[in-house]
Amino acid sequence: MKKLLPVLIMLFLTGCNVRTLNPVSETGADQAFLIKLSFGIMMFVVAVVCVLFIIFTVKYHENDLNRKDIPKHEEGSRVLEILWTTIPFVLLAILAVPTVMYTFQASNTEAGSEDTLHVDVIAEQWNWTFAYENGKETHKELVLPVDREVVLHLKSTDVIHSFWVPRLIGKRDTIPGEENELKVTPDQTGTYQGKCAEFCGLGHTDMRFDTEVIPAEEFEEWLSEEK
Amino acid sequence: MEFSFNGKSVFVPTDVIAGWLSVLIITPIVLYIIIKNRYWSTILDYTTTTNHRKIGTLYILFSMLFFLRAGVDALFMRTQLLTPENEFWVFQGEKYNELFTTHGTMMIFFVATPILIGLMNVAVPLQIGANDLAFPYLNLVGFYLFLTGGTIFFLAFFFNAAPNMGWTAYAPLSTDSYTPGPNNNFYIFGLQVSGLGTIFAAINMMATIIRLRAPGLTLSRMPLFPWATLITSFLILIAFPVLAIALLLLQFDRLYDATFFLGELGHPVYWQHLFWIFGHPEVYIIALPAFGIFSDIISNFSRKNVFGYTSMVISLTLIGLLALMVWVHHMFTVGLGAFSNTFFAITSMLIAVPTGIKVFNWLFTMRRGVISMKAPMMFALGFIPTFVMGGVTGVMLSSAAADMQFHDSYFVVAHLHYVIIGSTILAAFAAIYYWYPIMTGKILDDTLGKWHFWLFLIGFHLTFFLQHLAGLDGMPRRVYEYTQEDGVWSYNFISSIGAYLMAVSMLFFLWNIIKTHRSGAKAGDDPWDGRTLEWSVPSPPPEHPFERMPVIDRRDMFWWSKINNKPLPVAKNPRPSPIARRTFQPMFLAGSLFILSFGFIYGWVWVQILGGILSLSTFVIRAFSDERTEAYKREEEENEQ
Ligand SMILES: [Cu+2]
Ligand SMILES: [Cu+2]
Repeated sequence: MKKLLPVLIMLFLTGCNVRTLNPVSETGADQAFLIKLSFGIMMFVVAVVCVLFIIFTVKYHENDLNRKDIPKHEEGSRVLEILWTTIPFVLLAILAVPTVMYTFQASNTEAGSEDTLHVDVIAEQWNWTFAYENGKETHKELVLPVDREVVLHLKSTDVIHSFWVPRLIGKRDTIPGEENELKVTPDQTGTYQGKCAEFCGLGHTDMRFDTEVIPAEEFEEWLSEEK
Repeated sequence: MEFSFNGKSVFVPTDVIAGWLSVLIITPIVLYIIIKNRYWSTILDYTTTTNHRKIGTLYILFSMLFFLRAGVDALFMRTQLLTPENEFWVFQGEKYNELFTTHGTMMIFFVATPILIGLMNVAVPLQIGANDLAFPYLNLVGFYLFLTGGTIFFLAFFFNAAPNMGWTAYAPLSTDSYTPGPNNNFYIFGLQVSGLGTIFAAINMMATIIRLRAPGLTLSRMPLFPWATLITSFLILIAFPVLAIALLLLQFDRLYDATFFLGELGHPVYWQHLFWIFGHPEVYIIALPAFGIFSDIISNFSRKNVFGYTSMVISLTLIGLLALMVWVHHMFTVGLGAFSNTFFAITSMLIAVPTGIKVFNWLFTMRRGVISMKAPMMFALGFIPTFVMGGVTGVMLSSAAADMQFHDSYFVVAHLHYVIIGSTILAAFAAIYYWYPIMTGKILDDTLGKWHFWLFLIGFHLTFFLQHLAGLDGMPRRVYEYTQEDGVWSYNFISSIGAYLMAVSMLFFLWNIIKTHRSGAKAGDDPWDGRTLEWSVPSPPPEHPFERMPVIDRRDMFWWSKINNKPLPVAKNPRPSPIARRTFQPMFLAGSLFILSFGFIYGWVWVQILGGILSLSTFVIRAFSDERTEAYKREEEENEQ
């Protein structure tokens, strides 16, 4: 059963449309890549441990032949110990390099050009407000144009919440008295679930919204529409 | 349900009524059993003695009771999440928030931590050839502080005031601006009182391990459970005071309108730093002793010494050190900046190296051994793959950019249960089966133990494995419902079934204990063909089992003395050692602190003053009394003769 697990996991990951692994932005794709990379490396580790585990428990299981045996004293093994100290370092390095890269990339939220769209995201118990530069405000939906860079300015008026659109980009907390930012360029039109990820009290579960990514012209039209 | 009382109508939710009803039913049954079997003297003996084994047994007993309570909370949660938009009983919204807060807090502070301290109490002195802990009186005080804290927290629900801010108590939600009322005060005082007890236990363990080892038992010959206990004690001594400070600041915010965690001067993120500077070491405080237990059990049931003993000790130490500098990995989404995120990402990844060393050493301890599949060993075997799966998702989480997706989702829920149940809870079960003869003189039934193990392990993986996927599919933690189109129904359904299976497995465990006490066979001495000193004494051990100190000149000395057919050499002179005495003082202190805490929780100043006076008077009483005087007098008289 233990051997089957990795296979099962792969089946699940490819079989279902798991939201975080089907990203619709480059940042989201980077994060999905990291998840898959770390998963791959770690499955190697799990496989090694499971194989050794099965071999040892099957082979050295107490039976009628060895019941009276007294195993030889074994202090340890220099070679083996060096091996399982250094190999993890190598594996971790493979993961650490892209981690550092993408972490720095994800925290660069400076607008790339004049054309960048800015949206204020204001979280409160238990509601989201999305305020556009022209003064337009929405609550239940965040509307974004496709293929255009957007910087989200995350704020909170009461407790800590967390802005999360799994298919678009990983979460970032909204903290009272502070402003956090996220930069993302959605590259596929569609409607994506958004959620509050940080527990914020009674209505936390219902603090949901939709992110609608629509073509640029439609977006301009929508933006100039009076509400 | 609405009641009219004195002309006023009072609303009491049905779950609270059910809680009181179950108390009304259970109390007479327990009383009946106690009276019928005349347990009074045993109860008096256990609740007032300073003997380490009895205190340890009490720790384990009460942790187990809290485990059942918090487990019931988990079952309610899983039932609420059984199907999309389910409405089970009252557990939506606030009541659900109370469930997961109680479940998390209780499992961490009143189950995982004290059950390990209980096991240390039972085993560590015997494993190092000490007659008792260095400070037996302090030990009993520590136990009563744990029991008082646990009881305060336990009672919150019965007053319809269970804490509801999550076990991490993030500010400013945890301040009185957003969660007014007594609810979260129960959290503060429950943890504050029991935390003090944990600190006392740590000091006691340190002093015992450093000062009271048998002659010749150098640190480099010590079994790994005492080693893990020693390092854990240092971690407790660093981490728990930080929690105490954080709780005190929160108390001032809540009760006296201070603004440490909100407003112009304060900052909510201060709480997160303080909490996780405590919280991450806490993870290792409950993991390291588990590692120690498994090292001893795997070695014992493979009939082989621990492979790579030195690297085992070094990696324990390294994990302990690294545990102190990774706390920000719980805060990757706070926005502390790329530099700090990557720094803490790397330090977190590094923990995988010493942990990996330990895993391979366990595996190679079994290699070329003779593995006897008894119940304790089954739990140890279940631990290895389970814990490795939790460990690798830990590495995945440490990748800061990827954590933006994992954080606060069911992926984290899955990870933390894999790690904590995988290590601490499996270790606690393994150790209970293993050391049961020491605690009670009887041995638990092996077949029932295996039923318990398999059902628990299968139930566990059913419950938590698919939660990884629910998290990756965008299910945040701490939500009481999900919709059909979220697509996480199948995961949640199977998860709930797994939780029921785990509950069934616990019935086997309870039945095993009842059966063993009714008709179980005496364990006899050294029932597992042990290697370490605790098996060199009768089960259960008498008080002062090492009146003649064994002299140790190698690791697993007891095993070698059996192999070579030579009795353990003993030292010529007995060593003066602590004496188990009877004392009611800690019980009195517990009552005083209980009153004091309720005074603060409900803001009753007169009760605070009363509780304060009573608590302080314990110090005065203690200053003028010494429960050992009698024994000293007797000794002196004997010397004069
Ligand atoms: Cu929320
Ligand atoms: Cu941590």
